[in-house]
Amino acid sequence: MLEASGLMVFYENMLALNNVALRCGEDEIVGVFGANSAGKSTLMYALSGIMLDVEKKERMAGGERITLAGEVRYRGRDIMNLKASKRARLGIVLCPERRRLFKESTVLENLKIGAYLATAAQAKETLAYVFKIFPALEKLKTRLSGFLSGGEQQMLAIGRALMAQPKILLLDEPLLGLSPLMQAMLMRAVREIRDERRIAIIVTEQYARPVMPIVDYAFILENGSAVLEGVRDDLMDNPDVKAAYFGV
Amino acid sequence: MAVAQRRRERIDRGIKVRTDGFYALMSWRELGYLTLPRFLLIAGLLALPFLMPSMYWQRVISIVCIYAFLALSFDFLAHFVGLVSLGGAFFVGIGGYMSAVLNTELGLAPMLAIPAATLLGAGVCTLLLLPCLPLRGVYFAIVTLMYPLFAARTIEALDILGGTDGIMGIDSFPGPWIEQYFVIGMLLLAIFGLRRLVNTDFGLVLQAVKDNDQAVRASAMNVTRFKAIAVFIGSAMGCLGGACLVHIYMWAGISQFALDFSVLPIAATVIGGAGTLVGPVLGCLILVPASEMLREFGTLRIVFYSLILVGFIVFRSDGLMVWARRKYHQFERWTEI
Repeated sequence: MLEASGLMVFYENMLALNNVALRCGEDEIVGVFGANSAGKSTLMYALSGIMLDVEKKERMAGGERITLAGEVRYRGRDIMNLKASKRARLGIVLCPERRRLFKESTVLENLKIGAYLATAAQAKETLAYVFKIFPALEKLKTRLSGFLSGGEQQMLAIGRALMAQPKILLLDEPLLGLSPLMQAMLMRAVREIRDERRIAIIVTEQYARPVMPIVDYAFILENGSAVLEGVRDDLMDNPDVKAAYFGV
Repeated sequence: MAVAQRRRERIDRGIKVRTDGFYALMSWRELGYLTLPRFLLIAGLLALPFLMPSMYWQRVISIVCIYAFLALSFDFLAHFVGLVSLGGAFFVGIGGYMSAVLNTELGLAPMLAIPAATLLGAGVCTLLLLPCLPLRGVYFAIVTLMYPLFAARTIEALDILGGTDGIMGIDSFPGPWIEQYFVIGMLLLAIFGLRRLVNTDFGLVLQAVKDNDQAVRASAMNVTRFKAIAVFIGSAMGCLGGACLVHIYMWAGISQFALDFSVLPIAATVIGGAGTLVGPVLGCLILVPASEMLREFGTLRIVFYSLILVGFIVFRSDGLMVWARRKYHQFERWTEI
């Protein structure tokens, strides 16, 4: 469904992504694991097209020169030069790291803003669905999103991404700073979303334990390169992976 | 696998790396590499009065320097303290009136009145801006925009300080050369002084205030005090410009509170490169003479002027100085990925 090959990103002369190949099939949950600065967020930016925007901003402001190379294919179509907004229209929706909610809007407004690409009927149906999988949000409908707790904010961020009617959802570190209980709950919800909405999902995380049970296939990034990949059970048995990403 | 692609990389010049530490200087070449840009600036500014000997252009040079004070002050406050000040006109007006009063009422010679007006004026500006210091971003900008209007209308309505006629009969500088070299000298002092200041521990705290004032507060530092000192320094430069201005025109009036003094320095900062301190001065050196040369076009002047500005913002929004600095320190080459 979404396929990247030879993906390279340079920040000035620093290599942030080195020849990364990644693929995600229909209805699959793919995990991407790596430590800080391994290139997870850069990968998500490159897949969602935000990188093009960052590159342009840096160029205009005379900052770092960012170079992108390689190929990103979506259902066989090369989308490497497609803007982030166009990619979102195709159904590639990013739920960014640190949530990036519209802090001064209420929960309901955030969700409605997310539904910009949806028809009225879709929006209504998805809104009901978001409140079904995240019942906590319904009670907070009129609260400003900036005042929600971390877990509630993350639920809202995922909900907002869902409102855009994604075909493939990119979740960038959705568990950042959440309690283990909240992490488990979110991961159950993510699996439910995949099962019920038939959405492919790519999820990045530093610590693999809470995410591993729900993924079908996983990649491990180290210093910008995809050093290991495999189906879940293979990776779980790999001693190196156990040591580095499960804390065993 | 994608076909072989190329990218353009930027590499620091060897000489830049070698001269990064002062103690590593090995040759005249390296010494020259470090001092050349500074030398060019100093020599260029000092040579200007000789290169433009006509009365008219000498006056323009003085005005350039006065705008440069304001641009420096704006750049310092906006990019090193985080206070976007639109109060350039306020500083000029206060400094100007202060020097005019000191000169006409107390009979101080211009060379005494100007430094006195600079310090007193900066004190007055700081005191008046003190209540606004907790404001940030656009709120501070709006409030400082109101100050010059407030001052001008007060003088007009109460008919104090000469009212709409202004204060006349102010002594001029002892001579045109002294006038020019005084403002140029003070400008060079301000540039290099600020450059030093922002790299001291005090300057670092100011930059921290800009980045995250809550973190500075949490480090047990009084943010308002630091901001007040910064405003004193910034407004002192504006007041110095204003004080010089009234002695050049031999007249102080409410047009010293005109919006030009607030807006043109900002435009110069955008063109020259924000946060570089030297950039805004270069911006003034381009903008003020350009605006003089465009005078022939009459009212179309503003159109051309705006086009220049828009062009710069759209195509070179990093500013001249940032661009020039990169070209000086780095070279580019194509590499295969």
